Amino acid sequence: MSLARSIGGAAINIGIALTALRTNLMRSILTALGVMIGVLAVVLAVAVGSGAQVSVENTINQLGSNMALVFPQPDTERDGPSRDVGKLTERDARAIERSVPGVTATAPQLRASIQLSIPARRLGTNGIAVTPGYAIVTNTEVENGRMIAEADVQSAARVIVLGPTVATKLFGNLEPVGQSVRVDKVPFRVIGVLAAKGSSLGTDNDDVALVPLDTGRQRFSTGLTGPDDLAMLFVGFDPAIDLNDAKRDLVRVLRDRYRVRKGDVQPFTVRTTEEFQQQSATVTGVFQAILVAIASISLLVGGIGIMNIMLVSVTERTREIGLRMALGARRRDIRNQFLVEAAVLCMIGGLLGLILAITAAKIFERVAEFPAPIGAPVAIGSILFSAMIGLLFGGYPAIRASRLSPIEALRSE
Amino acid sequence: MNLIGALDLPTRGQLLLDGIDLASLSSDELAAIRNRKIGFVFQQFNLLARTSALDNVATPLIYSGLPAAERRARAAATLEAMGLGERMGHTPAKLSGGQQQRVAIARALVTDPLILLADEPTGALDSATSEDIMKLFCKLNDDGITVILVTHEPDIAQYAARRVLFRDGKVVEDGPVRDRRRAA
Repeated sequence: MSLARSIGGAAINIGIALTALRTNLMRSILTALGVMIGVLAVVLAVAVGSGAQVSVENTINQLGSNMALVFPQPDTERDGPSRDVGKLTERDARAIERSVPGVTATAPQLRASIQLSIPARRLGTNGIAVTPGYAIVTNTEVENGRMIAEADVQSAARVIVLGPTVATKLFGNLEPVGQSVRVDKVPFRVIGVLAAKGSSLGTDNDDVALVPLDTGRQRFSTGLTGPDDLAMLFVGFDPAIDLNDAKRDLVRVLRDRYRVRKGDVQPFTVRTTEEFQQQSATVTGVFQAILVAIASISLLVGGIGIMNIMLVSVTERTREIGLRMALGARRRDIRNQFLVEAAVLCMIGGLLGLILAITAAKIFERVAEFPAPIGAPVAIGSILFSAMIGLLFGGYPAIRASRLSPIEALRSE
Repeated sequence: MNLIGALDLPTRGQLLLDGIDLASLSSDELAAIRNRKIGFVFQQFNLLARTSALDNVATPLIYSGLPAAERRARAAATLEAMGLGERMGHTPAKLSGGQQQRVAIARALVTDPLILLADEPTGALDSATSEDIMKLFCKLNDDGITVILVTHEPDIAQYAARRVLFRDGKVVEDGPVRDRRRAA
């Protein structure tokens, strides 16, 4: 009964609110605009933030799901003297393969920026010198032709596998497999084209070219000094293996090899995909929080606009308030009337803002090729949040209206 | 006037309305008294702009907590009784002064009050319309409602059965009206 009555009361107040809002239509629209822009900004910030999260996760998943990355850089996360230089070699890779349990494959790599050229065109790309293990660890497949094979590595063959972006830019519609391409002026034969992986976080994963490890060692200018130094090592693990255990085993093997004592800085850094995921979740979380915080300022300004206009409205309608009190309205009836009016105004603004945000996110996704998902919880939340803004910023004007003395209010012009 | 209307409370003394001491009531209870026992009629009508005559008359019933259908039915019946059945959907701007005041009287009557408090109800009306309105008050009075009317015009005061004359805030005369004007 009392529930039915309060629903009925809300319905009446919504009716009164709509009449009042229509009375000052232009003013209502402009006020709702403030909330609309605020909600637009916040919803877009949330969408872009979640998009960044999705994008980073995709990037990491494309690396390969269950793997560790080893870099020849002193681990800066540990305290100790920083004079140590990094070190990582092919022998380390073989030792890991031998001694760490659960390893499916290793992918020792050299990396360099390389210039590709055919008679008609030149093109710079990311050159990676790899062993057959690379395809296994990173889930990379060829669309056409074949991958780098063990024999190519052994013989330091001048063969190259092109990423789809490179293949298209260089050869257009022509079949690249079998063609000749110069790598920094030395002729190579194209043996394969990779399957597309797409782009993530603005980086094109298909803008690469793979050559055999030993070929890269001869041709790439890597800046590495040792005869079997590596720029990077990927270690793939059995999906059933716990990555934290795997990392501990891997680090122990490498520390033994480099005779790292307790307290020393180790000359290598090991990160698992899981750690990257956690790290990036933290980073994108902070990124999203900052975005939302900035966007919230515009919502705050919108809310202040609501309070301002509601105060004006209460002042203008003092006589109406007095009349309603004379007709039997209790203080809470007056308060609720103005609260509902502010909430309705905000929800209209919020709804428009949401519609605009969904449209903007769709356009953004198409233009920037960056995901900006707006889920149902965000959509519903933004409308509820708008209503809350209305109740919050409409609260003071509404209470002021309810505290008016009926005589004074009736007397006002 | 404000005291009788339960809009204000006395600083001294006691105010009994229908046997209830108003000073002892909370603001919500005073609101209920205004809603149920008193009907207000103002000089400037005080109708809600851009709101139909029907909704204007139904407004006090909102605060009585009646359901929408009953509010509309009672408001419509009261307007019919005022001879405004044809004008229910009109907003105040589309009504004449006399019609507006009759809508306001309908609004005052719709809750079946004990007292009708009229503050200069004819102050904004021409003399012919004033006479119509006064005749309406007389008829309501005959039907059993107490009408308390404030006016500056002696001939309007002639409609009353009892006249209390105030001068500078003090009662200077209180007695029955001789040669009382009656509704024709």
